[in-house]
Order: sequence, then C-alpha cells, then structure tokens
Amino acid sequence: MIFRHVRLRNYKLMTKLMITYLLLTVIPISVLGYVAYSQYTNSVEEQVGEYIPKLLEQANGNIDHHLDEMKRLPDSLYNSPQVIEILRKDSYQSKSNLLRDEFLVNSFLSRTYINGGNSDILGVFLLSKNRLYKSTKVTYSGLGLESSFLPYGQDLDLEGKEEVLLPYETNLKFKGNPPFILLMKQLRDFENQENLGTMLIAVELTFFEKALSNLKEEGQSSIWMTDSAGRIFFHTDPEFIGKFDDKYSEYPRINGSFRTTGLADNDLISTADFQGNDWKIFHSIPLSDLTQEADAVRNGTIIVFILVVLLSIGISILLAWNVSNPLNKLAKLMKQVEKGNFNVDLLIDSRDEVGTLAKSFNSMMQEINQLIKKNYQIELRQKDAELYALQSQINPHFMYNTLETIGYAVEEEETEVVVKMVTLLGRMLRYSLNNKDRVVPISFEVLHTNNYLTIQKFRFEDRIHFEIYEEIDTNRYYTPKFILQPIIENAIKYGLEEYQTCVIQIFIRKTANNELMIKVKDNGPGIDETVLSKLNGLLGKDPMAGRNSGFGLRNVHARIAMIFGDPYGLEIKSKIHEGTEVIIKIPMLTGEQAANISGGVESA
Amino acid sequence: MIKKLFSFNVLLFLFVSGCSLGAANTDEYKVVFNNRPSQQGDEEQHLTEYTVAIIPKVINIPYFNAVEEGAIEAGRELGVKVIYKGPTVADSKQQIKIIDELIENEEIDVIAVSANDPEKLIPVLKKAQNHQIKVITWDADTLQEGRDFFINMVNPETLGRHLMDTLAWNVGEQGEFAIMTGANSASNLNEWLKWIQQHQKEYYPNMKLVTIAATDDNPNKAYLIAQKLIKDHPQLKGIIGNSSVGPPAAAQAVKEAGKAGKIAVVGLSPPNPMNEYLKDGSAQIITLWSPKKLGYLTVALSKNMATGVHPYDNQEIPGVGKIRMLDDVVTMGEPIDFTKDNVDQYDF
Repeated sequence: MIFRHVRLRNYKLMTKLMITYLLLTVIPISVLGYVAYSQYTNSVEEQVGEYIPKLLEQANGNIDHHLDEMKRLPDSLYNSPQVIEILRKDSYQSKSNLLRDEFLVNSFLSRTYINGGNSDILGVFLLSKNRLYKSTKVTYSGLGLESSFLPYGQDLDLEGKEEVLLPYETNLKFKGNPPFILLMKQLRDFENQENLGTMLIAVELTFFEKALSNLKEEGQSSIWMTDSAGRIFFHTDPEFIGKFDDKYSEYPRINGSFRTTGLADNDLISTADFQGNDWKIFHSIPLSDLTQEADAVRNGTIIVFILVVLLSIGISILLAWNVSNPLNKLAKLMKQVEKGNFNVDLLIDSRDEVGTLAKSFNSMMQEINQLIKKNYQIELRQKDAELYALQSQINPHFMYNTLETIGYAVEEEETEVVVKMVTLLGRMLRYSLNNKDRVVPISFEVLHTNNYLTIQKFRFEDRIHFEIYEEIDTNRYYTPKFILQPIIENAIKYGLEEYQTCVIQIFIRKTANNELMIKVKDNGPGIDETVLSKLNGLLGKDPMAGRNSGFGLRNVHARIAMIFGDPYGLEIKSKIHEGTEVIIKIPMLTGEQAANISGGVESA
Repeated sequence: MIKKLFSFNVLLFLFVSGCSLGAANTDEYKVVFNNRPSQQGDEEQHLTEYTVAIIPKVINIPYFNAVEEGAIEAGRELGVKVIYKGPTVADSKQQIKIIDELIENEEIDVIAVSANDPEKLIPVLKKAQNHQIKVITWDADTLQEGRDFFINMVNPETLGRHLMDTLAWNVGEQGEFAIMTGANSASNLNEWLKWIQQHQKEYYPNMKLVTIAATDDNPNKAYLIAQKLIKDHPQLKGIIGNSSVGPPAAAQAVKEAGKAGKIAVVGLSPPNPMNEYLKDGSAQIITLWSPKKLGYLTVALSKNMATGVHPYDNQEIPGVGKIRMLDDVVTMGEPIDFTKDNVDQYDF
C-alpha cells in the first residue's frame, strides 16, 4: 500500500485530481444505482412471488370446485329409475330390447348432459355389462366396446370413487382436438351394493382457462398443469399439452415461487398443489417482464450515469486544469526567473487561491525587481557620490587656492598661519583618505567642516564668518561623510560673489520628530523663487544627470536618501537678497545602527 | 507500469470473481417465496386398521344377512376389520352378552348396535364407552345417552305413513287390518307403529286396526301368528308386516289359506324372500330400504368415527350417496317400494 501510495504520489497533480474526482463520483453513483436496482427488482420479485401463488391457489380452488361439480354430474343418473333399471338388467336380451334400452339411455344422456346446462361437456359414455351408451356433442374416435384403451373395464372396482383421466391416457379424440379431461366414475347400485357400470364424461378444459383468466393478463406468462409425473395436461400453449415438463423433477417441492438462476433470461415460476389430487399448477413469467419498469429505470440510470461520468470527467479535467495550469505557468515563469529574467507577469485574474498566488508571485517578483534595482542604483550612486566627494576634496582649485594662500603667508613670514593651514589641510586630507566608513560621528564631519572653513577664513580673512552650534552630543550620533562641505562650498561661492562678507551658521539639533537636523544658513544673495522650486524639484532626480549647478546638493541629497530612505535628505529654503537655508534631515543614528548601515550597504 | 497493470488486474479479477462466486454457489432455482411445503409425495397413508363391531338385532334372517353383506363389503373397501355378531333371537340379553364379550376380548374401536331394547343396553354401551370404544346405533336406536348418533334408514314418520298408504291402496281404504311387528321393545318398530296408527286415524277412518302381534323376528313364530290372525279375523282385509320377518310369513299364510289377493300383504321386507309372493299375488307391495346399503353406511360411518370425523348433513359417503343429519340422527335415504314389476332388479 505504501508502495502504491508512493507511486501515486509521483503522478501528475492533474492525474491525481482527475482520479480522485472520478472515484468520488463514479463509485458512489454506481454503488447506489446497483443497490437501488437490485433492491427494487428483489422486492418486485418477492411481491409477485407472493402474489401469484395465492392467485394460483385461488385458481386451483376454482378448478377443484369445478371438478367437484363435474364429479357430481353422474349423480343425475340416479334420478332416472328407468335408466337405473336398464343398467341393472343383464345384457342377455333380445336385440330389440337392447336397442330400445340403448335409445332410452342415449336420449336420457343427451337430455341431461349434452343439452343440459353444462356447455363444457363434450361427450358422455356409459359402459355397463358390455353395453355402451353414449351421447357426444361432436364426432369422436378412439372409444368403443372393442377398443382396449380403457385401462379400467367395467369390472374394475373404483370403490365408488371417481377418477380423472387426462387426455393422453386415452385414445379418445374429439373432432377439432379440443383439450379435455375424462371424468370416470363407477356407477354404484347403492341398493344392491353392486356395480352398475362406468360413466365417462369428457369435459372440455375451457373452465381451466376461465379459472386462469385473471392470471393470464401478464404479458408473456404461461401457465401449465402437470400430473405427478410431470406430464403436462394443460398449457396455455397447446403445443406442450401431453409432453413432459423435463425440469419437473428439479423444481423445488414447494407451494410458492422460485426463480431460475442459470439462464440468460430467467423466469419466475410459481407453483401450487391441487387439494384434491396430485396435480400441480405452474405459472411462469420472465423476470424481464416483471422488471421491465425497473429495467427502463436502470437503462435511464445508466445513461444518466454515463452522462454524469462524462460530465464529471469534463469538470474534473477543467478543475484539475484550473489548478495545474497556473502551477505549470508558474513553474515555467520560475524557470525564466531562474535564468535571470525578472520581468515576468503571471496573468491570472481569478480571485481564488490560485489568483492570490499569482498576485503574490507577481508582487514578489516586482518587489525583488525593485530591490535589485534599488540596491544596484544605491550602489551606483554611492560609488558616484563617493567619487564626487573624493573629487571635491582634492579639488585642484581648492588645493591651488590654499597652497597660494600658504605661499602668501610664507612670503609674509606668518609662520604661525602657515603651520596652522598646513595642519588643517593635512587633517582634511586624512579625513578624505579615511574612506572606509560611510557614516562617521557628526563631530568628525563638523571638525572637517570647521577645518575647511578655517582654511577659507585664512584665505578670505574677514570676508568669511562662520559659527557652528551643536545642540546635541555630536560624538554619539552619526552622519554620512561629506555632506556639509558641498553645501558650504556653494554658500561661499555665491556669498562672496555678491557681498563683501559671507556669514555661515551651522545648527545641529534634534527636531520634535526625533530626527537630526543640520541647518546651514548663509546671508548670501538667496535664490529666486522659480529657481528654488526648480532646485528643490531637481533634488529627487538622478544625481548623475550632469555637473551643472546644484550638482553638489543633489549628490548629497541622493546619498542621504539612498541610505535612509525618501523622507530624509535636503531641503532648501531661500529668500532673495536675504540668504539661504539648507536643511539636512537624517535620522538619529547611533554608533550601533551606523555599523548596521555600513555593513548593510556594503553587503548589497 | 507492468506492476501497476498487474495490480489493477488482480483487483479486477477479485471483483469479478466475487460477483460470480455468489452465483456459482446457489442452486439452479432460488426460492423466492414459500407458502408451505408441497404435500405431494409426503403423504403417508394411515395404515392403522380399525376394528368395527356391528351388532344386529338378530342373525340369520334375510334382512340382517343383507346388512352383513354390505358391512363386509364396506370393510373390504374401506380397509376396516368388521366383526359382525348378533344374537340368534332378537333378545336384548343375548345382545348385552355379546357386546360384553366383545369389550372384554377384542380390541374394538367402534361398536354399532341395532338395539333390541333402548334401555336395557345402556349399561353395557356405557361400559364400552368407558373402554374408549365409540358407540353408535343403527336400524334401532337406544336412549341418547348410550350412543353418539343413530343411523336411521328412513324417516320414521315417512315410513310409517307410507306403509299405511300402501295397505290402503290395496284394500280400497276400508276394512280390518292387522300389524305384525317384531320385538315389542324395539324402538324403531314402535316409532313406525305410532305413525301407521296416526296416519290411519287421520286419513282412513273406514279402516280398523284389529290387532298388533309381536313376532320377535322369529320366522316360525311369525308364520304361526299369521295363520292365527287369518283364522281369528275372517273379515281381515290386510296385514302390515312392521318388521322384515312379517310379510313373508303373512304372505305364506295367506297363500296357504287360499286368500291370495283377498288379504293384502304389505310391509317391510327385503325383496328376495318376497319375490315369489309378489309375483303370485300373495303380497302386493313390499317396502324397504337397502339393508346392504345400511350395512355399508354403518361401517363407513363407524370408520369415520374411529378417525374422529362426525357425520354431517348432506355428507357424501362413497358407495352410499348423500346422507342427511338432523340432531344426532343420520337418515340414510328414502324407502323403496317393491312390486312384482321391479322386484327382480334387487338382490337382497
């Protein structure tokens, strides 16, 4: 079983689903159909099997009753003393006397039996002391004084009882060959306690048919009667009359019903004994006749069953396809993704689990795609920004200016200034060279800015004033490198172009939102409102778009945004002729978090 | 794949064989409904032979000889052992003795008695009943307590009145007549006598009953009585023989007295002993039933009693015909008249 189970597990999902659907529909329907059909046919069989024997017994009763009436027929003879007297005489008489007797008895027989009430009587024969009296309705053959058919001569002692002879037991035949039974009764002279003779009454079997008429309604049923040896003496199909029922000895000896089992078309046979004698009556009806309705229902059921099976196959294919097709698609797309194509879309609109899966897959792929893009671009920008930062530090222009300033100072023998400037420059260069960390404590950046501004102050002397206000512990919090210098460079450049002095104020503080804010305020010419909005708009754009104005600011903004996300970055506020404020917003980044950021970025 | 096919085939095979197994194990015929088993072939005839004792009033008279013939015939046909035993004279004492001996010495199922005395036989019949023997009476009854039922040949009223009629036809409804009866104590004879006299009073006032003489069913005594009647009553026009011994004796006496045709002889007698007298005119009409039939019927009903079947009205007794039953009296049939024309038809 485990073996099979394992095998089954390896089938395709669609196959498994189809098999499951089919089993779930086909098996219950077929079992239900079979049980219902067999139950129904069984109950029909039982009902009919119970009902027909009762009818048979009723018919038997009717026939018995009729036979009893027949058996009483000879009694009418006793009402005629004349006939009795003739019968009591012996046959040794003159011819004329014999013929007169014959005339008298024959006419009595005709009067009483043939022309009497009972229309079933074919003929009456009276055998007495070698005399034969008769009266028949139609001509007959096979019975005469000389014929030896009678197994019972007039000397036979029936002990006053009557016998019923079946047609095949005699040679007697009537014109038209009607089926009949021969009632034989010994005529007894009760007074003398002697035999008068034997009376034979041939009775047509129409009364059988009458008695059985209510049984014959059913279509192909047949009814027959047999004697104790199984010889058929009455059959609804006259062909069988006189033949033997070859199955007779095999039939169960019951009063009831049984059915054949071995045949292609089985019959339900009911049987009943006769009370009066050893005959049996049989009634046979094909089971298919009984179960006609059930068979129609069965055939209908089979058709419906096939339709349902086909339908369920269709539905199961559809369902299985519905489940397995998206999965197949998914598998194909996965393979594409495996190969590196992230631009895939699983086009499934349904809202079911498969649709949800498809949606999840799509959104996952989008997410992955975006993450890849983002990391990739961050990395690019980072490198770019760092490159720029590197460039700005060793800005040859700045170097030249500084060195020139140092040169003047040497000429004027201001050694102290020279020493200080060289020291500052050295520090700046070291800060720049220390390129390992992306974020540094704010104090480092502040120091670097301070160095830079101090060097510029040496160069421009009183034209530059700067103030740095630190409202937080700058050693504790971190910031990306080189974010202040490009801003300050801008402030100096534009401030000194227009005005005599340039005042730069730097505020480092914590905002209400628990963010770190670095504000660089100058007293420069300010920026035109249109330019300002354009500048603010440009901040979000690709920092690599070109090295035009505002490039430094964009670079800074981009780096901050890349590291901390969109809400962070630069904001420029300015009023023309009044000055500009550049506000840098970054999160309050402690040393621990700073380490994560550096690592995270680097690993991406 | 092959394994899979194989296992599928095994499953299929199991399923199919499971189906066919059910069919293969049953018989060719499956009984759907069985009302009761067929009795045919199971019938076993009761071969127990019953013994029936038939006790006539008297033996060796033609009437009871004819009864005996019928009884023996019935015994042969019905498979019953028949003991036919009776007293040589119509005497209740002898009858009692015979019955007593039968009870003591034989295994008897039924005793059928033609009683000489309705009362005196009661004790012995009761004794028989105590011995689990069924008792019925025929021909002549006892008191009801002594027997189960009585087989009467004919209705006593019908017979009595008919006997009176037959005499009246032959004497022109007037003149003296005498009656010869059997034993004075026999109940059936007395019943008939009653109806004969009743009928005469009602319809034949011109006729006169001169005497009723008892013959005790003794032919010799009857003959002597007949002679004496003819001698004592010269105006005698007719004699009714009320028991079967009477008419032959009367006919003989009339014939010998040369008064054939002048004294009409009617009565109860079998036709055989009367054949000649009827033909030569010594007797005119004899009335009787078939004593053979009576013997046959008695045995047949005795056998039925032994098997526990009581007679009922309109019952068809094979060899006898239909019987009537009223209260506890079975009536066999109608009386038959024998005349010189039909007497040859009968043989008893």
